[in-house]
Amino acid sequence: MAGGVVWIGVVAVLLAGVVALNVAVLRLNMQLDRLARERADLRAQNAALSVQLSSQASAPRIQRLAAKRLGYVQATPDQTSYVTLPH
Amino acid sequence: MNRLVNRRIRLLLAVLTFAFAGLLLRATWLQGVRASSLARLGQTQHRETVALPASRGTLYDRTGIELGLGERATTVYANPKQIANPHAAAAAVEQTLGLDANRVYPELADQTRGFVYIEREADPAQAAALQRLKIAGFGFYPEERRSYPQGSVAAQVLGYVGIDGNGLAGLELQFDHQLSGRAGQETIVKDPAGRVIDVQQQRPERPGRDVFLTVDHSIQANAEEVLRQTVEKWHAKSASAVVLDPRTGGVLAMAVQPGYNANRYPSAPRDLQRNRTVTDTYEPGSTFKLITVAAALSEHLVSPSTRFTLPYSLRVADRVIHDAEPRGTVNYSVAQILAHSSNIGAIELAEMVGRTRLSSWISRFGFGRVTGIDYPGESPGIVLPPDKWSGSTIGNVPIGQGIAVTPVQMAAAYAAIANRGVWSRPHLVDHVSGGGRPSLQRHRLVSPQVASQLMLMLKDVVAEGTGTYAAMPGYQVAGKTGTAQKPDSHGGYATGRYVASFVGIVPASRPRLVILVMVDEPQNAIWGGVVAAPAFQQIARFDLQYLEVPPDAPTNAPTG
Repeated sequence: MAGGVVWIGVVAVLLAGVVALNVAVLRLNMQLDRLARERADLRAQNAALSVQLSSQASAPRIQRLAAKRLGYVQATPDQTSYVTLPH
Repeated sequence: MNRLVNRRIRLLLAVLTFAFAGLLLRATWLQGVRASSLARLGQTQHRETVALPASRGTLYDRTGIELGLGERATTVYANPKQIANPHAAAAAVEQTLGLDANRVYPELADQTRGFVYIEREADPAQAAALQRLKIAGFGFYPEERRSYPQGSVAAQVLGYVGIDGNGLAGLELQFDHQLSGRAGQETIVKDPAGRVIDVQQQRPERPGRDVFLTVDHSIQANAEEVLRQTVEKWHAKSASAVVLDPRTGGVLAMAVQPGYNANRYPSAPRDLQRNRTVTDTYEPGSTFKLITVAAALSEHLVSPSTRFTLPYSLRVADRVIHDAEPRGTVNYSVAQILAHSSNIGAIELAEMVGRTRLSSWISRFGFGRVTGIDYPGESPGIVLPPDKWSGSTIGNVPIGQGIAVTPVQMAAAYAAIANRGVWSRPHLVDHVSGGGRPSLQRHRLVSPQVASQLMLMLKDVVAEGTGTYAAMPGYQVAGKTGTAQKPDSHGGYATGRYVASFVGIVPASRPRLVILVMVDEPQNAIWGGVVAAPAFQQIARFDLQYLEVPPDAPTNAPTG
């Protein structure tokens, strides 16, 4: 009689363990899905920022702004000095 | 009493037996007969197979600046059968996506259709605004939209990608296989609230590979700007330029003007979308004399100092050919023939070489066949085989008429001279991520000695010949001007329609750049030395400064 009660307890604990495990897997899967979506969003943001960065770094744009706002002009080769360093 | 009880028990037993029999039959019906269809129905409600789109690779310039990359977009579609109020739905579309409600309404009101696109690759923020309105019948899915952050810079070189993400032109087409990734797929199980609770099968997406170009966006943008000004100044039809590194054949810039904004390719005229430096041919005129002189030198028929007595005009078969400027009879060396771009002198040299050997040299320089540049739709040019030459051909071809070449062919030929006689295949792509650098394709065209003699002669062209406008302080420039009449559709030449060009090498003592400028149908002036040489000078001046190339002209001495 006592052995039967022990067995019932063991089976109950095992069943509770299986349920707990399944719940944990479920939670992890949901977390995984959320993270995957987050990753996709971050990648999209990253691409959008790259587009912005590239267009901001565009040479014609910088030259135009330098000329307009700061009055800079492109140096000519004869205005540039090169120094030969001794070896 | 007992009999009554027994009867009631039997009645209860019968009722229970019937009830259980009914349940058993129902269970057998559901589990056996309708099992598969019900299982399928259940699966569609909680299982879903979704595509995992693969992002397209990025196109980078030489310095690592993105020239073409993928951006997330949202495609909005609708099922008109589920749209309860098309008027209100169209108004919501106009309010959020900015589309014309009058255009959208007929689509949404068409109850015969179950699927219509409202906007492909819409702005994700605008699509999200529509989604938040929770109007039944609208659907949304993510897509990738190709973006060209530099706008019009290198638009013809990059090409474009179609609405379905396939490369349709330019490098996007040429490297479509590498740039395209492989879409993934996963089967997910969702709970009643639509949350993913299990992933049953998964094939991850494989993103496309990045492509790194030899093109430099600053050099490219400057070349385009110079060409734009040149077209405007000379009211020309168009202008093209190629900037090559003669040591490797790497293309630093390939510019065509007028251009267009790569982000708005569907609305750009087809004519503007062509990379004319590769796909279009032109009669090169005097820049081709380099090949005639190279053939005569390589065949050991002349030296740079060999002198010729040259009349102003010469009859070749049924044609009379003369030099560009009226003059008396002159005595020119081979170097002077090139410096003064004498047609008569070039024809004299060609006649010494002969049609068969000259044809062979033309072919050796790569004219009449594609260079093999990594760009789609390359033209081989038009070169007559020697057996098809007429009596007057020897008076045309040596001076660059009656032959059609592409700008990239001509730039590659000059690059070979700059590279001590070794021709390198021009290329736009340095490497593809995940792969090694492709080996350079090169072969010798002329001996180093002949290349060196030609370089000296080309320096004279800029120092005292027809290309003086190409000279710049601090640097020695070698180059050749070209002015060619354009052929008409009747087999002759059109009056007043010319192509002006200049091909230059700089610094001449240690060449780093070969720059070809070609201006199509300039007005008011037609000469390569007047129209194209200044554009070359402007491009070269910027590039040398930008690339920090030290000057090579002797100090305290007149330059170029």
